[in-house]
Amino acid sequence: MATLSGKNIVKKYGKDTVLKNVNIDIETGKIYGLIGRNGAGKTTLLSILTAQNPATEGEITLDGQPVWENEASLSRICYSREISPVTMFGPNTLKVKDYLKLGKTFYKNWDQEYADELIKMFNLDVKKRVHKLSKGMLSAVTIILALASKAEITILDEPVAGLDVIAREQFYKLVIEEYASTGRTFIISTHIIEEAASLFEKVIMIDDGQIVIEENTDDLLARAYRVSGEDVQVDEAVSGLKVYHPESVGRNKAVTVLADSPVDNFSDSVQVEPISLQNLFYAMCVDGRKEA
Amino acid sequence: MQGNLGEDKSIYIQISEMIEDEILRDILREEEQVPSTTELSKFYKINPATAAKGINLLVDKDILYKKRGIGMFVREGAKKSIQETRKKGFYDNYVKAIISEAKLIGISKEELKKMIDSNLDM
Repeated sequence: MATLSGKNIVKKYGKDTVLKNVNIDIETGKIYGLIGRNGAGKTTLLSILTAQNPATEGEITLDGQPVWENEASLSRICYSREISPVTMFGPNTLKVKDYLKLGKTFYKNWDQEYADELIKMFNLDVKKRVHKLSKGMLSAVTIILALASKAEITILDEPVAGLDVIAREQFYKLVIEEYASTGRTFIISTHIIEEAASLFEKVIMIDDGQIVIEENTDDLLARAYRVSGEDVQVDEAVSGLKVYHPESVGRNKAVTVLADSPVDNFSDSVQVEPISLQNLFYAMCVDGRKEA
Repeated sequence: MQGNLGEDKSIYIQISEMIEDEILRDILREEEQVPSTTELSKFYKINPATAAKGINLLVDKDILYKKRGIGMFVREGAKKSIQETRKKGFYDNYVKAIISEAKLIGISKEELKKMIDSNLDM
């Protein structure tokens, strides 16, 4: 098993500190989900992990070898970013097939047959120029590049953002199929948490430049609850536990609890329900920052 | 196979319970092969590790067994053993809930008994 790890990563853009001393270990052979609000630092973290962006402080290694300007390490990692239809010099007039050719030159395990299959599946016109593509087709290109790279560690930054529900489901099935047959590592960032949560063996939650959760998804949800009932009784039932996002209506109160370990002895006077990853994320991040 | 997973329990537990339900309903028969973890993970859109965890739970309970190189199979006597286990949970999972709801809405002991009695010709 290989490990892609980042130690004490700090990233500053001018006065802004976007990543505040982040430590992360990505073990191969798993599907990771990366979730966080807009501006939390997800894309910055991913681009630093894949040496597309230098860290202000800290070190990234793959199996102990620094990743920066290390071709051998980088050829094992694919970071398929969102493609921009405009570049610094105007519209992105590159043809899709030429963009995909870059994958062929860069990734040593590139699978052209698989790429062709995916192009057909997503109905992608490879003769089109990038700036003429719809949002959905832009997403399809990044997905095809990522999957056909056959890279040991494959990172997709918001791959489903532009896709309709049918294409999204297609994408999830493709990832499961690929993962089941090859054991490749996937790191997928997404805002559509509800849909993808069950795909993630491990979840990384990032908030305001810091990793607040890095845990097996089942284990995390097994210690998360929504506790509701009469305010006094709720307060008593959750005292001493980590509580997020209390909400009240009349005398009724509901809180989200993230205990250190699963709790099986909540008082009978309150209602205790399991909570989805999306709702846990919401509760943990909604009160954090004042803006937005 | 049911198509939807809920949020009320860990997914791997739901997977194991759905396979048990299928055995109880004779959709999966004893000595028959159960879907592979890949098939289950694609069908339910879940991580293959989660599907495997659900299957392994049933192996630990002696409901399923592994045939090397082929896959997982339903053990003989599995249906009976699931029924026995579920009977133990029946009071906690169902009867208690009925009684507590009945109390809450003011159904008397006699009324409740009558309702159950009149529906007992199963």
